Amino acid sequence: MLSKSEKSYIRTSLLSEPPLRADGRSLLDFRGVAVELGVTALANGSARVRIGGDAGSESGGGGVCGTEVLVAVKVEVEDVSGSVDGGKGRMACNVSCSPAAYPSLTMLQLDDFQSDLTSILDTTLGCSSLCPTNLSIIPRKKAWLLHVDALVLADDGNVYDALFLAAAAALHDTRIPRTRPIEYRPNNARSQASADASDDPMDGASGLDTHAMPKATDFELMDYWDEGEPLVCPNGMSWPICVTLNLVPPLFYLDATTVEEDATLTRLLLLYSFSTNSSNTRLQGMRLLGHGEVEANLIKPLIREGEKHAKHLNQSLFAKLKSELTKRIPQIVPSTKRNK
Amino acid sequence: MVEITIRKRPHAEAVATQRKFFKKTARGKVVKVLRERYLREDVPCGISHCTICPGMPGTTLPTSGGQGHKSYPHGHFILPDTNVFLHQMDLMEASQLNAPVILLQTVLEEVRHRSLPLYNRLRALVKAEDKQFWVYYNEFRSETACIRLDGETPNDRNDRSIRKASDWYKSHISQVFGRNPQNISTLPTVLLLTDDAANRKFCDAEGIPNSSVRKYVEGLKDATSLLDLLSAAGETEIEPTAALVAGRGALYPEYMPQANLVAGVKAGHLHQGHFNANPYNYLEGNVTVPAHTKPVLLIGREHMNRAVQGDVVVVEIFDEKEWKAPADAVVDQETTLKNDDPDESEEEPDDENALAEERERRALVRENARKQPASSERQPTGRVVGIIKRNWRAYVCHIDSTSLASSSATSLSLQSVFATPVSRFLPRIRLRTRQAPTLIGQKILVTIDRWDATSRYPEGHFVRALGRAESKEAEQESLMLEFEVPYRPFGKAILDCLPPEGEQWVVPPKDPNNPAWRNREDLRDKVICSIDPPGCQDIDDALHATMLPNGNIEAGVHIADVSYFVLPDNPMDAEAAARGTTVYLVDKRIDMLPALLGTNLCSLRPHVERLAFSVIWELTPDAQIVNVRFTKSVIASKSAFTYEEAQIRKDDPHRQDELTQGIRLLNSIAIKLRQQRMDAGALNLASPEVKIHLDSAETSGPIDVEQKQMLETNSLVEEFMLLANISVAKKIQETFPQSAVLRRHLPPPKTNFEKLQDILLKRKGMKLDVSSSGALAASLDKCVDSAFPAFNTLVRIMATRCMLSAEYFCSGSVGRDTFGHYGLASPIYTHFTSPIRRYADVLAHRQLAAAINYASLHATLHSKTHVEQVLSVVNRRHRMAQMASRASVEFYVGLALKSRGADKDGKPKEVQEEAFVIRTFRNGLGVFVSKLGLEGLVLFKREIKFDAENYTVTVPQPKGKEVTVAVFDKVTVRITVEKDRNTQRGVVKMVLVEPVDTST
Repeated sequence: MLSKSEKSYIRTSLLSEPPLRADGRSLLDFRGVAVELGVTALANGSARVRIGGDAGSESGGGGVCGTEVLVAVKVEVEDVSGSVDGGKGRMACNVSCSPAAYPSLTMLQLDDFQSDLTSILDTTLGCSSLCPTNLSIIPRKKAWLLHVDALVLADDGNVYDALFLAAAAALHDTRIPRTRPIEYRPNNARSQASADASDDPMDGASGLDTHAMPKATDFELMDYWDEGEPLVCPNGMSWPICVTLNLVPPLFYLDATTVEEDATLTRLLLLYSFSTNSSNTRLQGMRLLGHGEVEANLIKPLIREGEKHAKHLNQSLFAKLKSELTKRIPQIVPSTKRNK
Repeated sequence: MVEITIRKRPHAEAVATQRKFFKKTARGKVVKVLRERYLREDVPCGISHCTICPGMPGTTLPTSGGQGHKSYPHGHFILPDTNVFLHQMDLMEASQLNAPVILLQTVLEEVRHRSLPLYNRLRALVKAEDKQFWVYYNEFRSETACIRLDGETPNDRNDRSIRKASDWYKSHISQVFGRNPQNISTLPTVLLLTDDAANRKFCDAEGIPNSSVRKYVEGLKDATSLLDLLSAAGETEIEPTAALVAGRGALYPEYMPQANLVAGVKAGHLHQGHFNANPYNYLEGNVTVPAHTKPVLLIGREHMNRAVQGDVVVVEIFDEKEWKAPADAVVDQETTLKNDDPDESEEEPDDENALAEERERRALVRENARKQPASSERQPTGRVVGIIKRNWRAYVCHIDSTSLASSSATSLSLQSVFATPVSRFLPRIRLRTRQAPTLIGQKILVTIDRWDATSRYPEGHFVRALGRAESKEAEQESLMLEFEVPYRPFGKAILDCLPPEGEQWVVPPKDPNNPAWRNREDLRDKVICSIDPPGCQDIDDALHATMLPNGNIEAGVHIADVSYFVLPDNPMDAEAAARGTTVYLVDKRIDMLPALLGTNLCSLRPHVERLAFSVIWELTPDAQIVNVRFTKSVIASKSAFTYEEAQIRKDDPHRQDELTQGIRLLNSIAIKLRQQRMDAGALNLASPEVKIHLDSAETSGPIDVEQKQMLETNSLVEEFMLLANISVAKKIQETFPQSAVLRRHLPPPKTNFEKLQDILLKRKGMKLDVSSSGALAASLDKCVDSAFPAFNTLVRIMATRCMLSAEYFCSGSVGRDTFGHYGLASPIYTHFTSPIRRYADVLAHRQLAAAINYASLHATLHSKTHVEQVLSVVNRRHRMAQMASRASVEFYVGLALKSRGADKDGKPKEVQEEAFVIRTFRNGLGVFVSKLGLEGLVLFKREIKFDAENYTVTVPQPKGKEVTVAVFDKVTVRITVEKDRNTQRGVVKMVLVEPVDTST
């Protein structure tokens, strides 16, 4: 916890001309961000994101831990025959925090914090507008349930941005096993014959024709060795990106460290998703954290500002992920001729 | 722009060491499995004197490879792919094939995935001493480890992996031996053996020596005998020949994909069960499914769709209006398909085939034309849509001599012939062989390889000859093979478990500190004797009885203490568990335990001290149990009687010695025990048992058959054994309620008796009350025909057939209310009294020993699943053993008939016997000859009238008279043993003589 004078010192420096930050960044600078994909081999998709610390440069840092979040996505077959929403699959998110990341919090406080984080991740990703379209295994019977589990390993500020970055990367990394529905079709000629015999004039014309209903009862995996296909986000949108605007009226700054967060009264979380060609932007959600006040007429310009920064973040993330994923395709590793 | 960097371990590294795959569990979940592997550079090649690989102990491949192949004069190693082991296991097991074999880990694992039985055979092969196998762990060596490429199927990956290993061996050998330039041309070849033409093409492109199995075998010395072992499944599948493709269309509907079958069964549209062929009609079979009480009927070849006896099949059931009743005619495939040509698939369908089809169709049409059967007779009817699991094994067969091409009766050219299995449940098998003429008249072993939709018959290959048909050895071995009786001699590891003293072993002198005497009661001075059938060597029970001062009677049953010698979890125990029971054939006994134990150390011989497990009761003179105790003991039997000797001794009033009085005492109690049992509703069942008289052990000369006689003493022993079993069952169930080894006999479903009740009512006006075992026993007693004394026995035999068979079970795995033994009318029962010849008894001994705190119970006997598993094996073995001994008796009855039928001058004489009609068919009668315990079939050559409702057939006489024969009628049949000219199979033929002669 900072003392009042420390807080006031940090706030004053941020507002000074030019603004001053402890690590020498400008207000809109991010610390270095490191993304690692496929960190847990047993999950269907996973990513680790680290902001700050010695992540940015291999040499520097020296013991600064930064903010680190690990997200793993695991798929599970779920019986959806009783569900009301048509059983198209869903996403369930959970965030837990390593107590080492928050040494000052008691277990109760940590639980509260975890459920805060879980709630924002779950309400954002679990939104039906973001539900992947390829989660169905057997329509109305079986669907994939995506478990998105995040673990905050270290917190040096800006944990929300890190969390969403990691979730987006992990969902990008996720592969859904390819399945094939199995159906049993009774001998057609035979059932046809019995249908004729019943001589029902409504037969065939009836809107309740059950013949057209898919009769698939089970599914099989198409290829045991194949990781599967990537998730398909509806309407060509990307997974949401979060930017936290730390408000120090009349200014705001990005990527606060813990110390700076402490000195900042109000934070505005803005969640955007973008279409792949960045032409279309959608505000997926926003949250105001802290106990300061923000005037309503200020929010609109802040959203516009946030969108700009989120787009930057999204672009640089996807540029990296893309290059990473193209490297994925297995290649023959020429066996080194050691015998020679 | 924000700078983002990626840090992760090189992808290439993970790809080589990690193997990820998905697995769908039985509950429908999908699990991701990750296997990490560590690549090494020191996995040895297995070639002895290799200068590069580190030396490894154990069998290694000879340096210069295998010799004796024309194409590879400098020696060779063979490196077979997976399909070679999957299809040509008999070839690989042949002793003539002695080339060193390199077995790749990839191949081994693939075999395991595809077929567990084949995998076990392969493992045995690797260990076999006369074979040179080397398992090369190619996936663990960095040079030969293979990573799956994008879009590559697992099969292609494995093929590539095999080629890679093959290539590695090639370069490895040239490195090891190629240093010396003059060696270069004489290096041994590593030959990739594959029947996959596409794979061979790749090999040729990569310069890897390769060959098809057939081509390879043709170059060997013993090519002719080895070529017969080649399975039919090999080549054509992958190299479709033009003839086959252009050949006839499918005779059978294709099977549904496996996944669809499973889904269909799960959804309840399809039904899964074991296929049972009908031995009377080869065009009919049935499948028992859980969803219906009556088995599902399959009529006609097309609906049986290539199912073979014992296969686990999936059937589709038709609409109820298409349900039919089982056929009532006898359709024999030998007569219907007499002239069928085994070469059918290679030629245009000719007249013969058309004829066979026509005949079959007629047989079916005849069935269909019958008036709609009564609804009670109708069974669910359906068709086979797929096979879950084939249960093919090697079958004992005869070659059908008519199927031989006549022109080549002596030639050694390859030809297709039919092999007719001995078992009536199996279809004929087509096989290609070069040795056909020499195999005629022999019993041979044939395996089915495949059954294509385009082929009328399954295709198989010859495994080995067992010897001349009707020679005792061949018949014996074929019996054991047919009923899967394990008859190999006991191995060294098993014999090592016997006491080192061997035959000289004796009970050590009495000393409480000696482990043999620990907690053992000394019963050596009790007057104990054993009563067994004549010639019995494995005496496992002995008895005694004395009067107590208080007027009560002490009776004891002493059972050989087998569990003292057979300790849990050693090789002997495992072997005994696998054998399950001793099998008694007429002239041979296949022991469950080594003979040293069975006939000596455990056998309660007279005048020697033996270890025993005793059950001692105090009984009132009315045979009520006052108390019972169990103890390990040492006994010395005073005498070993046969049933007859004991009977004579008991009946001799001049004998007043202790032994005789003991027998009398036992007898008096046994009579009361029996009465108590009968009052409780026990059934007095009958099964046709006959005894074979062998003239001497050496010759199979003149023999005779007689029905077994029941003496009072038989019943004496039986009653006490039952009493002991029941007392033990109560004790172990009390102590180990979850895992006690018990035996039960479920009450038969009432529907089983429907037919018999109907026959009895219609033919004799008698009623059978099947509401309980007591009611059944009472009503069976009333089924008496004064004019016809054997009638009661006949009804009992028929009633017995309606019942279920008794089975062993684990007390924890079924409900308490189903423990009962129906036939014995006892609420609880087990087997305790014959541990020498039944494994369940050994388990009961161990549990009883633990129950009386003599020894602690081995952990496996506490486990419900383990006990269940052991007992399911024992149950199966038990069934098989019964069938084997029945078949053995049948064979000897046949021999006896033959010898009786032959005159002194060798002229055939007719044997005429009384028989009873037990079944009526559209074109024949099922008869039972009680004197010989023989069931046979009388077929009529002329048209007869058949009345299914009243179970009669009416045979018109030439003079316009008619004779009606009904079920239960006494008839006289003429019995001849005819050798089938085609198959050399001895067939008992029966012809009706009285009341009407049907021989003409």
